[in-house]
Amino acid sequence: MYRKQVRRRRAVLVLLIVVALVLISATFSQSQSGPLHTVQQGVASVFAPLEDGATRALKPARDLVNWVSETFNARGENSDLKTDVQKLRSQVARLQSAQGENDQLKKLVGLDRKGIFAGYKMVTSRVVGASPTVWYSTVTINAGSGDGVAVNDPVINGDGLIGRVADVTHFSSKVTLITDSESAVSARVLPNGPQGVAEPEAGDPSTMLLDFIDKSEPIHAGQMVATAGWTNGTISSAFPPGIPIGEVRDTTVGQQETYQNVRLTPYADMRDLDIVQVATQGPARPGVGQ
Amino acid sequence: MIVTWRIGLRIALIMIVAVVLQVSFFSYLTLFGTTPNIIPLVAVSLGLLGGAMVGAVSGFALGFILDSVLLATLGISSLTLLTVGYLAGRYREGTQIANTLMPPIMIGVLTIAASAAFSALQLMLGIDTQVSLLVLREIFVQGLLAFLFAIPFYPLIRRALRPAIVDDVVAGRRMGTPIRSGPKRPRRRLGRRRSAGIRRATGVS
Repeated sequence: MYRKQVRRRRAVLVLLIVVALVLISATFSQSQSGPLHTVQQGVASVFAPLEDGATRALKPARDLVNWVSETFNARGENSDLKTDVQKLRSQVARLQSAQGENDQLKKLVGLDRKGIFAGYKMVTSRVVGASPTVWYSTVTINAGSGDGVAVNDPVINGDGLIGRVADVTHFSSKVTLITDSESAVSARVLPNGPQGVAEPEAGDPSTMLLDFIDKSEPIHAGQMVATAGWTNGTISSAFPPGIPIGEVRDTTVGQQETYQNVRLTPYADMRDLDIVQVATQGPARPGVGQ
Repeated sequence: MIVTWRIGLRIALIMIVAVVLQVSFFSYLTLFGTTPNIIPLVAVSLGLLGGAMVGAVSGFALGFILDSVLLATLGISSLTLLTVGYLAGRYREGTQIANTLMPPIMIGVLTIAASAAFSALQLMLGIDTQVSLLVLREIFVQGLLAFLFAIPFYPLIRRALRPAIVDDVVAGRRMGTPIRSGPKRPRRRLGRRRSAGIRRATGVS
């Protein structure tokens, strides 16, 4: 009797391991419209209203816990922020005068640029779920294909670029954040700096790396990095140019290396996302699947 | 554990609540610089309470639901969670858990194992980016948080599954107190006719 139980237990364990391995392999080999993916989307659709309700109901509790946690860190940040505010005030003054000049120049040359997201329809939605690991930096938002959201649509919040839509169901979408290990964004150092690829550093959601920057390029801490939005006719970036990503934190140059190590601090706090906007139905970008 | 349909439903409910709480609440918190993950805690708790089979099946199901809800690669979470659920169950089947600190310690250790296995699988499946040493800190802090969260959560899960736990039923019988689940019901008073019959039979007036 005992042996029979042991045999049955082992059989179940082996069966579950085999099923898990088959699931991993099938997920990697299957297309977005495969049956396994459809099942996954079905489960996600069933859970979406539950997540939505729970996120709204638990927000006060979440804020309270985070407030307690942040209070401990606030003391050290206070003096840094005061310095930042002084710097930003002087920057704002310079930018306001530059903005005035810019408006006048635009009128002079007859440009009618509507902004970064000209031609896009912006869909506002709320983050209702987040991944618990550092490996998958993904969030779930409560807008889906029913709202016009499609795969690869850029997602932003008030601070800058968040990520892009990786998967959609009718009511919800999965957004791969720019700090996800699978993410890579073509980026440019502003105002006239070089182009590189902004990638995450797995394990540290508050840091990104700007790769492929030649070590001869002069880059300084505090410079803004925004999407490059390049295109070469057949392939292009999923993001339009000019969306702020973050600012340069520091740069190091290795003696034997061709490229310098540029570390960025993303503007958006990926651990505290609430309201986001999805740029949908934008102009066709060659090589970017919808 | 004696798994009846009702207990199966309770386990399913615990898993669904755990996944919803994780993605809607715990994933937004930052404690000691990391995000608490209660999913391995639930898988290990179910293994410690129900044995290897319950631990493995619950771990697999939890992983499947979590990966589906997050639209992540199916199977990775299932594989790691079924392993820790099974190991917790095997530990329970081979050892008498007498110390009340033992379950939280096991939960902390197996959460570290689950996080390490998850990271290893991610690396094997090809992470095309630099990996910070902070990943190691994340793994250990998640284990510590799981230990701390297990102190209130493990007794809660145990309470929810109490009617099915053989040890509790036997202990309850030895103590002479039947194990009940749900709210305490008031003892029904005997009817007048029945109490009169008892008085006649026992000779007590």
